[in-house]
Amino acid sequence: MATQHEAETVRRPALSEYLRWSVDHKIIGVQYGVAAFLFFMVGGAMAMGIRLELWTPTLDLMASGSAYNSLFTMHGTVMIFLFIIPMWAAFGNFVVPLQLGAKDMAFPWLNAFAFWLIPPAAIVILLGYFVTPAEAGWTSYPPLSTLFSGDGQTLWALGAHLLGISSIMGSINFIVTILNMRPPQMIIWTMPLLCWAVLATSIIAVMATPFLAGALTLLLLDRVAGTTFFDASGGGDVLLWQNIFWFYSHPAVYIMVLPGMGVLSEVLSIHCRKPVFGYRMVGLSSMGIAFVGFTVWAHHMFTSLQPELRIPFMITTMIIAVPTGIKMFSWLGTIWGGKMRFTSALLFALGFMSMFVIGGITGVMLAALPFDIHVHDTYFVVSHFHFVLFGGSVFAIYAALYHWFPKVTGRMMNERLGRIHFVFTYFGFLFTFFPMHIVGMLGMPRRVAVYDPNFTDWNQFISFWAFVLGFSTFIVVYNVIHSYFRGPVAGANPWRALTLEWATTSPPPVTNFDDDPIPFEDPYGYGTEASAAYLDAVDAAFSGGRPTPDGNQAD
Amino acid sequence: MTSYVQRQEKAKFGEDRDAEMRLKNNRLGMTIFQASWIMVFLALIVVNWQLRFSYAQWPPEGVAPFDPLLPSAATLALILSALLARRGWQALRLGKLGVFLMSWRLNMALGVVFMAIILVEFTVVSEAALATQYGVTMRLMTGFHLAHALAIMAVMLRVYRQAGRGSYSGDPRDSWPVEGAVKLWYFVTVAWLMFYVVLYWLR
Amino acid sequence: MENNRSNIPSISPAAVVVAAVFLLVSVIGINWFTTFVPEVLPAQASAESKSVDELFYILVIIGGLVFFLIQGMLLISVIFFRVRDDDRSDGPTYHGNPLLEVVWTIIPALVVVYLAVISFNVWNQNSEPKAAVNMINGEETVIRVTGARYAWTHNYETSRLNPEGEPIVINSGDKLHTYIGQNVDLELRAQDVIHSYWVPAMRVKQDLLPGNPDTGGRPTEIRFTPARVEGVEYPAEYPIVCAELCGDGHGRMRGTVIVYEDEAQFLEQFYEPAIHAILNPPADPVLRGEIVIQEYICNSCHTLDSLGWSSRTGPSMNGIADRAGERVAGQSAEEYIATSVWNAQAFVVPGYTEQMAVFGPDQSDANKMSAEQLYAIVAYLCTQGEQSDCDNENSTVAIPEAIKTAFGLDVDITFGQGDSEAESAASETSEEAGESE
Repeated sequence: MATQHEAETVRRPALSEYLRWSVDHKIIGVQYGVAAFLFFMVGGAMAMGIRLELWTPTLDLMASGSAYNSLFTMHGTVMIFLFIIPMWAAFGNFVVPLQLGAKDMAFPWLNAFAFWLIPPAAIVILLGYFVTPAEAGWTSYPPLSTLFSGDGQTLWALGAHLLGISSIMGSINFIVTILNMRPPQMIIWTMPLLCWAVLATSIIAVMATPFLAGALTLLLLDRVAGTTFFDASGGGDVLLWQNIFWFYSHPAVYIMVLPGMGVLSEVLSIHCRKPVFGYRMVGLSSMGIAFVGFTVWAHHMFTSLQPELRIPFMITTMIIAVPTGIKMFSWLGTIWGGKMRFTSALLFALGFMSMFVIGGITGVMLAALPFDIHVHDTYFVVSHFHFVLFGGSVFAIYAALYHWFPKVTGRMMNERLGRIHFVFTYFGFLFTFFPMHIVGMLGMPRRVAVYDPNFTDWNQFISFWAFVLGFSTFIVVYNVIHSYFRGPVAGANPWRALTLEWATTSPPPVTNFDDDPIPFEDPYGYGTEASAAYLDAVDAAFSGGRPTPDGNQAD
Repeated sequence: MTSYVQRQEKAKFGEDRDAEMRLKNNRLGMTIFQASWIMVFLALIVVNWQLRFSYAQWPPEGVAPFDPLLPSAATLALILSALLARRGWQALRLGKLGVFLMSWRLNMALGVVFMAIILVEFTVVSEAALATQYGVTMRLMTGFHLAHALAIMAVMLRVYRQAGRGSYSGDPRDSWPVEGAVKLWYFVTVAWLMFYVVLYWLR
Repeated sequence: MENNRSNIPSISPAAVVVAAVFLLVSVIGINWFTTFVPEVLPAQASAESKSVDELFYILVIIGGLVFFLIQGMLLISVIFFRVRDDDRSDGPTYHGNPLLEVVWTIIPALVVVYLAVISFNVWNQNSEPKAAVNMINGEETVIRVTGARYAWTHNYETSRLNPEGEPIVINSGDKLHTYIGQNVDLELRAQDVIHSYWVPAMRVKQDLLPGNPDTGGRPTEIRFTPARVEGVEYPAEYPIVCAELCGDGHGRMRGTVIVYEDEAQFLEQFYEPAIHAILNPPADPVLRGEIVIQEYICNSCHTLDSLGWSSRTGPSMNGIADRAGERVAGQSAEEYIATSVWNAQAFVVPGYTEQMAVFGPDQSDANKMSAEQLYAIVAYLCTQGEQSDCDNENSTVAIPEAIKTAFGLDVDITFGQGDSEAESAASETSEEAGESE
């Protein structure tokens, strides 16, 4: 701890609070966040292992191809199910009730339960390393995952099942909170856009995740009870899994990226001091993406589906580009003419736009069926979804971290370190993943430990920058730990933002607000006298940013 | 009818903002849960549907189709049971505990009849059918549904006992377990109706 | 700059200059992008590849426009709209512009419709079934491809007949032989898990789906027509790659397409020699075994220096004859090798897992290995070692005896040639085998 004096100026829950069962959404949010970030480090270490193995075109680091297969299987599983999805639950949990001026989520107990399903699920999945770990990829296509895999695959399915249930419970909670617990002054059209995004995400999660539960049930029955749902010699169908699995897992991509889009709208508007351009269309396009997202799943099956069924899915997939484009242009409209302050949060938000657009362009390319046939299941696809999920989700997660860290901990992050972190992440990411497009087109399939020696130079280039990207993570870890203890005291509203989470102390008291807060009429109405007056009033109410001494007593 | 019930409640219990918010949350949460979890049942229907294409005909050659007679009786019992559960809940809201208890005794009895019949159906699938997905998916669906029906029946039994001890006044704000159990039983009914049509009538 | 910020929708001279610069940069940039298109794609070795690459070219142009538009706008914003961190003022309260929003909804929608239409056309043109497929000597041939962990097997069911009057099947292992202009139409079957047959140079890919073997599996189809590539010496070779994760050796599951310049070269260098070799196989079981063993997918898992195999999923076959005698108590070296080939599950070498398929005696498709083929393979493997444990002096007797002991089957050591000398040898063998029981 820094100095006694500094430590005392911010009243925070004791660290032990975070290790216990708690029904306070703020504690649960931090629990989600820290756990998810730990899994990010685990998954990242696995990615480093993957890149190390790919330094040479032969199998040398790993004991066998199976060991390599289990490595990327676990990398995908950990990153998707244990990092990105819980990470958004972290920000959703902490921020959404505050933005709505609510005291807590609608179902606090259910909220805690949903979180505490995650550690056992993670343990079950990683226990696979004590038997034969899952090695059929995170997509686990049968019959590789049924007839040709070890017990780790069963554990994987059980763990994924628990995580799915956790996700459904969390999402029901979000929808009810957002629809029911807004203050009377806040209609749905003056709701912050993060809430819109979380609402759309949760609708996808509650409608799609049950399909994953169904698919995993069948997989478990095939593995354990001797049924033959996916075994053709018993009348089963291997494509059945692909249909049901992708009916969940394609929308799951939007589960992972839509909250990031909500974060972008918040961060860009606040740090550029300008209202969100076309608020309604930004909110509605989230719903549009959610809706169309349910009709595109079979583009993951372009090389296995009957040829005549491929065309309709090509068309729906391309349509997704339209609402995504609306968001992108609206964000440009938001920053255009604004007063940009290069905070780390804004840098990562701009980084999101810069990288996500590449993922969007390659997404349309992949939707074009004849071209997809060539690059399906190659490094082009690996590159594409990392541009969406790293260039998109992870950049947005970092933006959200720098943006809301002061609210969570009461202290600011170090901006200089934040900028260094951004530079390393941006270039590390770009040079790691952009060349993957090229090796993919040239003929390198995904999920291989042994590849054509012609691609060695490309892969060494990629691996080098992957290590740079891996290193960048330590900068933010150091920044978080350092700032938690020594960062400057943030005050209630360091960014002068209009949404309600900033109209209380940092961190907020147990009941969030001392009385029922009244939201400003327009959550992004920057630049007007009324908003300036409101912000000054907020500053005054929290005595220049110092929390009131009695607002914060835990227990 | 509903407005009358609501008026009665208002007159009887007055206003309580927190309790009303809880009730509102519970009701919306239940609706979303139902919409969400019905998707698992839809997923199983997709399974049944897609696996039909593995065979030239459905039911596959040499397999006798399931006789819909007993399951139809079970379906009827289930619908009656759900209606009785609803009737009991309506009575409780008007404070008629006796009517509630009687309706629910009947409701649960019919529910047990339903489960018994489906259990028999689940058990006596012919060898020939079990050698194909026709029998296996039927077992998957009925078994999955039975597990839900059993769990929710246990919930209803518990609620019934609590109600017998006078735990629920009939005000929806403190009788959520009763309302929740009724809605879960509706869910079981709707899910079964879908399965019933797919399993016994769509060939 | 001040003007720029306050009058967003109006057009100022500065905006025109910026737009012009942006357009110029985009045009140059996209031009520069498109110069890379041929370099980031493999050779255009099929008729289909040309139309796919043209589609990609259009995608790069449109994608490049979007790329430069967004990155350009970002860059302009970053340069012009940046203020100092301690500036507490707000930007203009500008909530949106319905016309602009309609424009940026409609234009992407139209672009998407355009892309869907051209993609649909290319798809239709490439996936249209062709007449006269797999023409060899003026006749259609069925080419079956089997994907098994971790190798491809190509079988040509020719119209030539062998002396018994059955059509000759050429097994070309992991190589597909074709020639420029041949309408290739492959029938794909997966034996165990899902595989994906990808020929990057042809821009085609199709998954192989495991089906019910009792009903002939679940064949899928892949079609392409090899085309001439300038500056390439024929026969040209292009890789076949497995693109769907299939297990331990997925990365090594590769093959080769060999494209001949014309049908004459195809017939001369591949087809006729292959038919000839099948009609006149070497009588020596060792020589024969060396050919037969390469028709199976052993190389996908095993190492054998004599044939240049280097896979590590299964145990090495180098010097196998030296160890074969001591592996399993009570089994002769011949018996051990024969059992290991036909029914590998019987004994798994420590440190390895049960992954190898069963090859006999009742397997179908690519795993079908007759007792005679087994005999030849065992004879060949018995020569792999310094001091072979096998009775190589006496292999025509010892091996059939071992097969008889292990599986109870008789071997025709003449391979069906049936000349008198061989026949008598065969009868002797079977007599001896009978005695030994």
